[in-house]
Amino acid sequence: MPSIVPFFQWCDDTMVSQAIRNSRVAFPIIENFHLFALTVLLGSLVVLTLRQFGLVYKTQAISEVANALRPWNRWSLVVMLVSGILLFLSEAMKCYGNTSFRVKMVFLFPALLFQFTIYNRIVAAEDKIAPTGGKVAAAVALCLWFGVGLAGRGIGFLG
Amino acid sequence: MSILSACQWLQDTYIGTSIRESIWVFPIVETTHVLALSISVGLLLVSDLRLMGYIMKRRPVSEIYEQIKPWMFTGFAIMTITGIFLFWCQAVKAYNSIFFKTKVILLIVAAINAIAFERGIYRKVDKWDNALVPPMEARVAGWASLIMWAAIITCGRTMAYTF
Repeated sequence: MPSIVPFFQWCDDTMVSQAIRNSRVAFPIIENFHLFALTVLLGSLVVLTLRQFGLVYKTQAISEVANALRPWNRWSLVVMLVSGILLFLSEAMKCYGNTSFRVKMVFLFPALLFQFTIYNRIVAAEDKIAPTGGKVAAAVALCLWFGVGLAGRGIGFLG
Repeated sequence: MSILSACQWLQDTYIGTSIRESIWVFPIVETTHVLALSISVGLLLVSDLRLMGYIMKRRPVSEIYEQIKPWMFTGFAIMTITGIFLFWCQAVKAYNSIFFKTKVILLIVAAINAIAFERGIYRKVDKWDNALVPPMEARVAGWASLIMWAAIITCGRTMAYTF
């Protein structure tokens, strides 16, 4: 099986990677946008989960709450991915050997897949009361995304 | 006793030293502080956006705000508790950081903004509860809140760096 090390090495060597590494402020600035987007992304997910469990906004249909939050959820995800890729490029080789980074990826891809293939469709079809399946889906999405956040914070701490 | 020596004393206490020197406690407290952003500022965002007239416009402002409030306060309680422990174990570093000082000032201003909103225009919410776009004073409070919280997050994150 071919090694993925050359790919990480290539990422580490791009002009963008070097530019970020050569700047004292680029990394913290990008990291701040990553954190803003985390707040919005997880925040919108928490509100929707609370709605599915019938704890807030019961006068609105679940699909309605999901619609209201969708642009915020989408755009924060875009900011999250763009800033995340930039952060990754600037320290790709460090990430390669970082267990937390690997765990983060193991959560990230299922989280994206689950949200776009299953979760979004479920909430779009829900009216006032979420069936058990919908609640389970909400809990799964929440665990996957918080797992991404948890492992992400671990990159800096644990190695 | 100067503030600096008080900070030194605080971080040298048994609890301060234990957190700072532990392998797991500090990362756990810090990670909780970061992830709880979603239930504090993340939920605040929703009520602020309603206040600014951007989302859920067909529902009353008071409904959007009051229902999310207990959860939001839970989030801010987690932030406060974890924040106190983080300060406790690195008080001198915090004291010497311009970002931490700015953060504290902004937290106070954000609290004043919230209280002024509750005691001001929100008292008369009956008159504008169903407005698609709330009155100027309410919108300004929403904008001010979001801008300050963005700055607070930035200060908090940037505290970790020395330039």
